[in-house]
Amino acid sequence: MIPRRLEGWLFAPGDPRRLAAVRIGLGGLLAARLASGPYPELATQPPALFRPISFLRLLDRMPSPEAVAALQALALAAAVLATVGLLTRVTLPVAWLAALPLVAMTSSLGKVVHNDVLLLLCLVPLLPSRAGAAWSLDARQRPLAGRGSAFGWPVRTAMVVVAGAYFFSGLAKLLHAGPAWVTGGNLRWVLYAASDTQARPNPFALFVADRPLLAHLVAAATLAVELGFPLVLWRPRLAWLFVPAVVAMHAGIGLTMRLNYWAMAATVLVVLVDWPALADRLVPTGRGEVPGPVPAEERR
Amino acid sequence: MREEPGAPADPDPAPRWARWFVGVYLALFVVCGVAGFEAWPLTGWRLFADARQARQAGFQAVTVDRDGRETPVPFRDLPAGYHGDVQVLKGFAGLPAARQAAVCQAWAGAVRDRGGEVAEVRIYQTVTDVSRRVGDRGAPPARTLRFTCRPEGPG
Repeated sequence: MIPRRLEGWLFAPGDPRRLAAVRIGLGGLLAARLASGPYPELATQPPALFRPISFLRLLDRMPSPEAVAALQALALAAAVLATVGLLTRVTLPVAWLAALPLVAMTSSLGKVVHNDVLLLLCLVPLLPSRAGAAWSLDARQRPLAGRGSAFGWPVRTAMVVVAGAYFFSGLAKLLHAGPAWVTGGNLRWVLYAASDTQARPNPFALFVADRPLLAHLVAAATLAVELGFPLVLWRPRLAWLFVPAVVAMHAGIGLTMRLNYWAMAATVLVVLVDWPALADRLVPTGRGEVPGPVPAEERR
Repeated sequence: MREEPGAPADPDPAPRWARWFVGVYLALFVVCGVAGFEAWPLTGWRLFADARQARQAGFQAVTVDRDGRETPVPFRDLPAGYHGDVQVLKGFAGLPAARQAAVCQAWAGAVRDRGGEVAEVRIYQTVTDVSRRVGDRGAPPARTLRFTCRPEGPG
């Protein structure tokens, strides 16, 4: 099902601390999103405005406020427990399953909201994994787990999902708009329209939209970053280029269009940064000159 | 994504179920991405995928008070459940009459809850040329009245 070379990379041994860092990061992010999401407001939506997505089509209106409150409490509690690593193999799947209908509600207004989708998709490979084997309450009583194949594939699968998300975003632009996405006035018109719908003219949007050459450059850079993102899987050092680039892209979208994609940017940071290796470099562990257990493919 | 040359064989290889789980998951992820297929939470990742033109068609919903004054429905200031206005307006013409009336009623109710007076809801089709600028703003759109509904309740 998976090409042999890709399979060799996906299932190579990994550091349990890297998996733990991704669990803590994504679990904490999920908890933050669940605590601050507009779910109670959405639950009071008049049925006539309900435009359900996916399995919510089984309903004829948003779930009731009581059901939403119960789901939100369950999902939030489970996400917090998964983040600290208590009963991780139960709490992480429960958090994900309970969060799913809540996040689906945000996309049941007529348009898919991708903000939390990347977070949900990156959590999928962690659900059946041994994500609580390190840096968790579950692991307090156990000997420290060493590198193993059980700890590599969940993180690398999440990395493929992040890279794929940006690549497919770029591919969709090429397939639906073609080169005109860059060479036409597309970005200028998007930014003018975005500024015009805001209460006050947006100086950042207008700065780019008023300068055709700059708009073309920004559009070209956006497409290059999206289509090029999978290169970080092949050459991990390129993450130093692509990760700041997508964070800057989301910050730019936030500044100019007032669209909040911080959860997507945070997901990229959590999954693509090798947090244990970074911690080892910043805070020497007293293990001599030996660098942290950076997986072989990440040392190149 | 290279294997280390001469790397020893993993004494603890990933179990078969993990390989199948990852294979099936990534296959579904890739199929949705390549085909642009929406099977939420799997998605086709169509973010700003269409090339916008300077002339943009759209809709505008306004409330009308008893004196005939029009006020755009302030969707951004209404609760989150009302934020799908662009998509609802786009599909409004295709809704059954009863659903159209229910949508108008919902919008009127939300505006009244904020202290607004609503005798009528009007829906205009608009054409905006965003390249025509008046200072920092776009020139007003050309509007054509498409629907009028009179929601129940206090005007």
